[in-house]
Amino acid sequence: MTTLYLERASAVHRLNPVTKLVALLAIIAIVFAVPQWWIPLGIVVLVVVPAAVLARVGGRLLRLFLILLLPLLVVLFIVQGFFFPDGTTVLWQWGPARLTVEGLVFSLTIGSRLSALVLGSLVFVLTTHPARLMTALTQAGMSSKIAYVISASLQIIPAFQERARSILLAQQARGLEIAGGPLRRARALLPLIAPLVLGMITDVDERSTAMEARAFGATPRPTSLTVVDDPLSERIGRWLLAAAAAAVIVLVVVGVIA
Amino acid sequence: MSGSTPAVDANRTRNRIFVALGTLVIVATYLYLILAQPEELAEGGLGTSALIALAGYLIGAGLIAAGAIHRLPTATLSLIPIAIVLNIAVGQLTAVLGLPLYLDSIGTVLVGVLAGPAAGAVTGALTNVIWGLTIGPIALPFAVTAVVIGVLAGYAARWGMFRRFYLAPVAGFVTGIVAALVSAPIAAFIFGGATGAGTGAIVAAFQAWGNSLLASTTLQGLLSDPLDKTITFTIVVIILFALPSRLRGRFPFVRQYNVFGKVAPVAPAEPAAPAAPAAPAEPEAPKA
Repeated sequence: MTTLYLERASAVHRLNPVTKLVALLAIIAIVFAVPQWWIPLGIVVLVVVPAAVLARVGGRLLRLFLILLLPLLVVLFIVQGFFFPDGTTVLWQWGPARLTVEGLVFSLTIGSRLSALVLGSLVFVLTTHPARLMTALTQAGMSSKIAYVISASLQIIPAFQERARSILLAQQARGLEIAGGPLRRARALLPLIAPLVLGMITDVDERSTAMEARAFGATPRPTSLTVVDDPLSERIGRWLLAAAAAAVIVLVVVGVIA
Repeated sequence: MSGSTPAVDANRTRNRIFVALGTLVIVATYLYLILAQPEELAEGGLGTSALIALAGYLIGAGLIAAGAIHRLPTATLSLIPIAIVLNIAVGQLTAVLGLPLYLDSIGTVLVGVLAGPAAGAVTGALTNVIWGLTIGPIALPFAVTAVVIGVLAGYAARWGMFRRFYLAPVAGFVTGIVAALVSAPIAAFIFGGATGAGTGAIVAAFQAWGNSLLASTTLQGLLSDPLDKTITFTIVVIILFALPSRLRGRFPFVRQYNVFGKVAPVAPAEPAAPAAPAAPAEPEAPKA
């Protein structure tokens, strides 16, 4: 599989993808609205991580955290901890680098928000099969054209990689060198891309003819082969989540949470 | 072309409104962020900048993509997945080769040039969605940048920037400047300037020089984006000039706006006719 999705039997996996998406959006809206750095961190610890453990994707989440997020957080703390432009309370200074309290608070705020955003999205992606997500979103009213483009892209990736590999081998057989300095490697890119694009564009015609022959996009609402069930409890839950997020934003804007 | 059923026409006004509203939201978000931000940082916090940057840009990009996708004929729709995969594949290849560039919008520019701004916008937006599903969700907040790149590539093609080999890099350079300006608030308010090790170091250097956070990410973007987009547009124009004109001529947008200059001798007379006045500036509604 080319996506991050992990097949597991869990309550989180069984949820309607739209519910999970609304929950994710609510979390993102809340963590970016509140100014306190510990609220996003609390949401990560109390909501996101337990959801991952419940869905039995905790190990993979940890690995992705180490690969994707940790480097960003380290860079963030170095850049903003030491070089925050509006820092006044200097703790330690060495040349142009000034470790300031304001900088540390700033990087803590951004860092905890980023953690909630990235980890929350990862749990969503890890527990939601793209096909199921597209079906559910189409049922909820999204254009089937968007669903087609996303699903087709995900399915083309393996075929594309296969074709890219064979072009690379063919060009190497004709003397293309891919080792050497950056400039040489950059020049190697073009003889790879050009045949790739040419072949792909030739395929487009066949595919669109096949699709139009099957009446793609003809009826506004075609019936779906698979139906993602959407119980009443989840529909109510979605509205509650959206209302909670809206309430938090209103409270922040009005100034109750500050 | 022939695919425009009456159902599409009924939604045309709605789609126009979506695109116009999306553009308005993006412009308003950017203006608000650069005008209101200094006061908020002076108060000792991020204020609502981060939420507005994230929500405004995502909603704007979503509206444009949703409004634009309905205009696209099936032939264009089946081109977009290929372009998305091209974006991701070359972007990853660039990272693996260790080049100090992104090169992650070749497919977006390609679609913009061959099928117009609407198609470019959809390709850009959905590329970042796919990225979120496959490699990691960090690219998602930058969806608006990809939309802007796709739209600008489409208009560059419409205004004849791909008729001459040397004009395309100029269009790429300008696109890069706009992309840098649009993405700077995202890098500043959502990522705190830390979008990667190399870019983070550059932001830190600009801040040490006494620039504000937003100014530093803007300057960092202006260092890398114009160069990256110049190279991207150059690669695309090389690829497209290498394509047989029979293939290029298959796209209605290419024929209508005479994107590559040379009017193909075998092209049917009626699509070539509206392209006859050189570089049509603002035919907003080409077909009734």
